[in-house]
Amino acid sequence: MVMSLLLGSALLLSACGSNESSVESSAEGSGEWSPDKPIEMIAPAGAGGGWDTTARTISKVMEKENIIDKRMAVANKPGGGGAVGWSYVNKKGGNHTLFVTSPPILFVPLNGQSKLAHNDFTPIAGVIADYSAFVVPANSPYDNMNDLVEALKEDPKAVSVVGDSAPGSMDHMAFVKAVKAAGVDIKQLKYVSAQDGSGMSMLLGNKVDVYSTGLAEATEQARAGKVKVLAITSPEPLEGETVSEFPTLKEQGIDDEFVVWRGIMGPKDMDPAAAKFYEQAVKDMMETEEWKTQRDNFGWNDNFMSGDQFKDFLDQEYKTMEELLKEVGLAK
Amino acid sequence: MDTISNMLYGFQVVLTFQNILFVFIGVLAGTLIGMLPGLGPISAIAIMIPLSYGMDPASALILMAGVYYGAVFGGSTSSILLNAPGISGTVATSFDGYPLAKQGYAGKALAIAAISSFAGGTVSVVALMLVAPLMASFAVSFGPTEYFALMLLGLTAIASLSEGSTVKALISATIGLIIATIGVDQQTGTQRFTFGNPNLLEGIDFLIIALGLFALAEVCSLILSRKSKMMNGNTNVGSLKITKKEAKEISGPIARHSVLGFILGVLPGAGATIASFMSYITEKKISKDPSSFGKGNLKGLAAPETSNNAATSGAFVPLLTLGIPGSGTTAVLLGALLVVGVQPGPLMLTDHPDVFWGVIASMYLGNLFLLVLNLPLIPFIARILYIPKALLISLVIIFCMIGVYGVSFSTFDLYLLLAFGIIGFIMRLLNFPAAPLILAFILGGMMEQSFRQALTISNGNYMTFLDSKVTIVLLILSLLSLTLPVIKSKFSKKPTEEEKEHLAS
Repeated sequence: MVMSLLLGSALLLSACGSNESSVESSAEGSGEWSPDKPIEMIAPAGAGGGWDTTARTISKVMEKENIIDKRMAVANKPGGGGAVGWSYVNKKGGNHTLFVTSPPILFVPLNGQSKLAHNDFTPIAGVIADYSAFVVPANSPYDNMNDLVEALKEDPKAVSVVGDSAPGSMDHMAFVKAVKAAGVDIKQLKYVSAQDGSGMSMLLGNKVDVYSTGLAEATEQARAGKVKVLAITSPEPLEGETVSEFPTLKEQGIDDEFVVWRGIMGPKDMDPAAAKFYEQAVKDMMETEEWKTQRDNFGWNDNFMSGDQFKDFLDQEYKTMEELLKEVGLAK
Repeated sequence: MDTISNMLYGFQVVLTFQNILFVFIGVLAGTLIGMLPGLGPISAIAIMIPLSYGMDPASALILMAGVYYGAVFGGSTSSILLNAPGISGTVATSFDGYPLAKQGYAGKALAIAAISSFAGGTVSVVALMLVAPLMASFAVSFGPTEYFALMLLGLTAIASLSEGSTVKALISATIGLIIATIGVDQQTGTQRFTFGNPNLLEGIDFLIIALGLFALAEVCSLILSRKSKMMNGNTNVGSLKITKKEAKEISGPIARHSVLGFILGVLPGAGATIASFMSYITEKKISKDPSSFGKGNLKGLAAPETSNNAATSGAFVPLLTLGIPGSGTTAVLLGALLVVGVQPGPLMLTDHPDVFWGVIASMYLGNLFLLVLNLPLIPFIARILYIPKALLISLVIIFCMIGVYGVSFSTFDLYLLLAFGIIGFIMRLLNFPAAPLILAFILGGMMEQSFRQALTISNGNYMTFLDSKVTIVLLILSLLSLTLPVIKSKFSKKPTEEEKEHLAS
């Protein structure tokens, strides 16, 4: 029953798609190329996570504001920290498959868990930025980043740092990068990986000293007075309730920043004209009121990068992280 | 007093036409999806998330929560009728539930599961309402050493999960521990036993092992015995009626495991699975007649079923009071909250009291709906057993495959499923119990991670395991659990046989 229903609607959809394409495949304003069938937007993770939310929000705003006149359907391809989704996009190829991505596309290949890396895809546009936050329990002896750095310089093994991601991945390396900039011997740092998401729980229970996490997770706990945010990794202080009180690394004399960027990529063989088309679409989308509402709702910061800027940025980040990983002995 | 006015406020949120409808839709969808072998709360919630875009946050969470505990409620059905647990929380349910169904008490088993689930769910919602803020500090009091000791306590029960040979149970558990090490090591990022196969990077999914060892192995046995009607052809559903004596018998476990389940549910990371196993084991340990467990003991069915539902409500404590997900499922729920624009955190109670109290109130209603929905349906659901064996076997195989494929969309996992089906069947032929394998697999991974996290934090000092009172108590309990049966068997004679027959009466 259900199967036949699904099949029916799929047929209906594709029928609609082909109808439209015959009329307007060449009459699009913004570029020489335009999509002639529904676009598949891949979230290389399960429903409810950061990639999924970003993919669904973008597709929703695109459709609502008529940025692209084809449907943009979100599909989840979870597994392998993104590797499953990436290999799907790579296999699929063409001009009608996109995916949402973020720093793991650098870390997962660097950790030897995906053969495909960022340069196996076409960067289309950077969209938003989030930042890391280093937090300690409310009763911690450390009141600012420099207190912590002093302790780490004295004895790197005296402080345990927990994060929700794998060793050598985002939460770990954001912290490593920051304290290295402050002059700490990063080879001896203790990192506890809590991949079941129990990092915050360990911190609140005073089982570990520092928690390296995303800004959003830290904000609510800080607002409730449960944790102190020692530093955030944004280049400039942030605006907004509570977050404006968080000191940046730079404000504390540590010359470092770490952007948890999110952007859109396509398959390697994507027509450059198609990539340009999507880049423009993302740009247009980010100017709509609907996007601004959604963005503020999720607490995201706009961070538009053109395809070329995005590519340069990724290459630079990849190099930095590769060196860091080599230094801590995790590069594969 | 405050609680009462808060609760009234909660009901005010829930008792609108729209929200009652959401509770109903949630539990209905949840219980139906949960009944299918292989489909559990995570897939059920993931299916519902796109629906919640743009919904009012309270309504969205009411709907999602309904799907969640509805799926756990319904999950017992496939465990009891087909020996095909759809979620890890109902594996223990099949230990005594399936034998009951085989003996022609399917109706009764389903009714007991429904009543235990209802009781466990309701008692724990009361607990959630009364002590949620107090429990918040308990939830974070467990760190790596405490979890290690808790998992160890669970593992010591392996001997008690064996029927007959303890050595075979230990071998089976060892295999489980070995399987748990497959995949990328979480503390170092090293690949273990993946043989360069990217499909093994994340380890083997619990569902594959459970469906393979339980459902497919059962299917193999059924195929072998397809001609001998005597062996297994029991299509009798039996009456739903529970006698006074039976009601009295299960009231003890229900009371005990509502509390135990809730407490274990509160601990992030423990959850319904560990709660149901712990309850089953505890009940068996305190039973006067432990040998009847695994052969259709009513207590052995009521205990895990009460516990896994109680744990489900318990899991809402860290979620609602701290904004911390306690399990994979609550992490998905947390994602659903983000989608509707609520950032979960310790201030949710003050910022979104409608979400907090509304969800709690909705759970009373939802549990009631589930009981009312499920009880009358039992005779119809149990009719599954009337399906001709050839058809039923094919259906179970298909559902197992859909369940596994639906999690990962990987054909590799289907081969793994087949492999575990064969392993399970061979184990059966040689009388190796499957339960210790699955228990060791579930506990082993967490136990290892906790152990190593603890040692990283302590710079390799083993004394860290004696730093916390909770850890010490749990370690002593593990030691007792391991040694007491040995000591007891040396000093006492064998248990009386008469009580074993009480089921037949």
